[in-house]
Amino acid sequence: MKTENVLEIKELNVHYTTLTTTVVALKDVSLHVGPKEALGIIGESGCGKSTLSYAIMDYLPLNGASTGQILFKGEDLLALSNKEMQKFRGNRIAMVYQNPYSSLNPSLTIGFQLEEVTMFHRGFTREKARETAIETLIDLHLGDAVGIVKRYPHQISGGMQQRICIAMALLCRPDLMILDEPTTALDVTTEAVILDLILELKEKYDMSMIYISHDIGVVNKVSDRIAIMYRGEVVETGDKKAIFDDPQHPYTRALINCIPRSGVVKEHVKLNTIPGYVTRRSAEESGCPFVARCEQKNSTCEEQYGMKEWAENHYTACDRAYATDVPAKKLQVDEGSIPDTGDAEHKNVLELDNVYRYFGHAGKRVRAVDGINLTMERNSVLGVVGESGCGKSTMGHTVTGLYPPTKGRILFDGTDISVSWRKRSPDVLKNLQLIFQNPGRSLNPSFTLEQIIGRPMKKLLGIESKQERRKLIIDILKKVDLGEEYISRKPKQLSGGEMQRAAVARAFSISPNLLVCDEPTSALDASVQASVLNLLVDLQKESGASYMFISHDLNVINYLSDQIMVMYLGRICEYGTKNEVVGSPHHPYTEALLSAVPDVDPTKTRGTIRLKGAPPNPTQKIVGCPFSGRCHRKIGKICDTTPPPKVDISETHYVYCHLPPHEMDIIATKKGM
Amino acid sequence: MSFMKRFLSRLGFMALTVVAMSFLIFLLVEIMPGDVAQTVLGQAATEESVAALRETMKLNDPLMVRYGRWASGYIQGDLGESLYMRGVQINSIFWRRVGHSMLLALSALIFYVPLSIFLGVLAGVRAGKFSDSVISFLGLATMALPEFVSGILLITVFSVNLNLLPLTSVIPIGQTLWQNLEILVLPACSITFVMFGYVSRMQRSSMIGVMNSDYVRAAILKGMPKRYVIFRHALKNALLPTITIIGMNMGWLFGGLIVVETLFGFPGLGSLTMTAIKTRDIPLIEACVLFITIIFVFSTFITDMMYSFLNPKIRFKREDL
Repeated sequence: MKTENVLEIKELNVHYTTLTTTVVALKDVSLHVGPKEALGIIGESGCGKSTLSYAIMDYLPLNGASTGQILFKGEDLLALSNKEMQKFRGNRIAMVYQNPYSSLNPSLTIGFQLEEVTMFHRGFTREKARETAIETLIDLHLGDAVGIVKRYPHQISGGMQQRICIAMALLCRPDLMILDEPTTALDVTTEAVILDLILELKEKYDMSMIYISHDIGVVNKVSDRIAIMYRGEVVETGDKKAIFDDPQHPYTRALINCIPRSGVVKEHVKLNTIPGYVTRRSAEESGCPFVARCEQKNSTCEEQYGMKEWAENHYTACDRAYATDVPAKKLQVDEGSIPDTGDAEHKNVLELDNVYRYFGHAGKRVRAVDGINLTMERNSVLGVVGESGCGKSTMGHTVTGLYPPTKGRILFDGTDISVSWRKRSPDVLKNLQLIFQNPGRSLNPSFTLEQIIGRPMKKLLGIESKQERRKLIIDILKKVDLGEEYISRKPKQLSGGEMQRAAVARAFSISPNLLVCDEPTSALDASVQASVLNLLVDLQKESGASYMFISHDLNVINYLSDQIMVMYLGRICEYGTKNEVVGSPHHPYTEALLSAVPDVDPTKTRGTIRLKGAPPNPTQKIVGCPFSGRCHRKIGKICDTTPPPKVDISETHYVYCHLPPHEMDIIATKKGM
Repeated sequence: MSFMKRFLSRLGFMALTVVAMSFLIFLLVEIMPGDVAQTVLGQAATEESVAALRETMKLNDPLMVRYGRWASGYIQGDLGESLYMRGVQINSIFWRRVGHSMLLALSALIFYVPLSIFLGVLAGVRAGKFSDSVISFLGLATMALPEFVSGILLITVFSVNLNLLPLTSVIPIGQTLWQNLEILVLPACSITFVMFGYVSRMQRSSMIGVMNSDYVRAAILKGMPKRYVIFRHALKNALLPTITIIGMNMGWLFGGLIVVETLFGFPGLGSLTMTAIKTRDIPLIEACVLFITIIFVFSTFITDMMYSFLNPKIRFKREDL
């Protein structure tokens, strides 16, 4: 059954020369992609995934150089001149990028950007090119294709922009499509739709595909075979099932095990972490790239390292793959329910009483938070989940006082804090802290960690003595696994994970009662995310603080939370304990969200609910249920005209929905995750 | 039509600025020390004659009345009478000077804008290479030279040594500028020296930014030829910041060339302003300064409109469709 491979990469090496050193970006990469095959490439940032795709396109920075062979249908791309390469780019090999918005030229119409592709490669006239563009857009299920070609990129939504980018790649019916994190910037429900679409088009156009992502779940969904990359090397390749069921390379195991997924919750397991971080590779280095962080290393790691066949179609580079002293290959997954620790006293730390937050002026008013009622118990973690623009961050900011509520009351430990942080007492400020998404931007780059962490201590705890503060700072740094030597470092000298630890340390330095965490791990790599999540769990157990944990990632929310709140367009859809919301969801939106999350385990498949369209314009006044326009279980006119009532499912679980109880029970028994 | 709305609101703001500025100019000249009548008659004048002149010049009327008279005169096209050259209507000398200045500015503009944009684009596309270094060095060097230094350099080389162009830009009596177009060359070159550095450096850096953008990468990886990518995909976006810089300097170019005009003895608005200030010719100062203000405001308006026109994000709002 040996057929000719569409792409065959043989011992590809890429290195960058800087003034002082040579950095190895890819080392001896050999991969192949068969006809109609989808190869998924997984790895953390800095592991050379994108470099590989740009090397295939022969688009490396000026200081980059490559050796080896990239055979595309037998022709070596590396030997081609730039002019000859132009005939392949966009024509035989096409690429889709992570950020659709910035990949489209803002000052040219979408039609123009689509037409030029076939005009150049096929010599079409503009009319013919437009026809082809519109046909392709229709293939991508874009309703108003004729209207869209006249628009500019900023006039359409993110999901549509990515479809345009995919259409652009498909115009010449390429043999190979390279997708570099195409859904990373999109919402989970949009991602689900785009992934389905990619699969459908792959069949339709008989394409081969390279799909690059850091998200194992996504890669599983679209690929046949998977390659794991670490520090510029392919460490393991195999069928997706083999990779997940029987991972061999310690890095593959470590990576798979640090990702939260369904059934992995803080009550049962601690996430796996990988000590250290991805470092740059110098030209002299040889042997296993993972050796510095590997817990099972020995003398063979250097000498006997190299790709070998482990099983049919399953290759791994680690020579110790068959060793018995490696720990459990798979993270334990316990589907059982979580025991209720009913002994704790139920005292509220936070109450939101009909809170609204509007932006803008009359006529163009954005209802970011549109009437939220909520209580949060002491010593608990409330996970707030929803897609971008649902108001979850704004709600967090009304609590922290960055955007005081337009209407409504916020009670914190019984004190009314419905005002801006400027008007709050030092005691409230001390007890209510926050962590932002991007530590690189939220920590002042010109301050040392001592200044960053010491400042709230001085301002809010009134510790004037520098010695005393330093002692406390060192204590807290140790708690977040940063050594004493970090005290004099500045944020720039830290890695992403260390920066977020420093941000956690800053927030915890004054022992707050409530911590608002706004997507604290979204910008981090899987292994780093795992260590920050573990840290947050430990600190919470130890300090008894409560978290309001805001995230778009349901797996993370599921891992960390006690209660979960699902938001849509500034309102609550569903609220309940983790078991209730994830185990027996009652709201159609929760159902759709849960179904859209790609599973890390490729053996588990579930039907994804495709939501229609995009969330409505937030400036428009909504009379009925905000979700009615996209709901797959809409029951009729009532959804558009009457706000949904609060339906109590249990003492701790409620939804806002018009669905009759028996239909909700159907959702619950289908079970999302 | 959001573009139309923007156009009208900017137009309104422009008018408002001109009105406010005219009042401010009037007020400033008003509070300058020294009595106008006294200045006209000289220090030796008697008190009675000064008082009499004040009466005939209606200087004793309240401030607002005088401002109203002054402003309404302007609206009707009457710029008043020069104080220094008694009996001379400002209109009779002013507009000719303005015309000269416009011609100088225009010739400088035609000279330096394409030159600096072209070289800026070239430097940006070849960032880090030899041609970039040469262009960037030229830009820095000419930017560092003040116009009176570069002007003298130009005069020494082209007029004194090579004897190619006239030494000064004076128009012989009885002739017009059109008969002496060669006098424009050296002042225009000297302006180009000043502006080239700014504009080409701005163009270079915006070009580098755009060439590194995701959409240019996407265009290249779509298989488009490099030249096409530069001119169709990159240039339009890279021009936006440059247009702002050129527009911001338009006011200076059309009305503020005091140094250049004085150096070359060019009979333009700048040297007229200079003379007016030296002779304390208040009505003439007012006319010059107000006109320069209007040019500044107007060129800002034009820049703004051009910017919005070239930028579809401003031209088409999401709600429009």
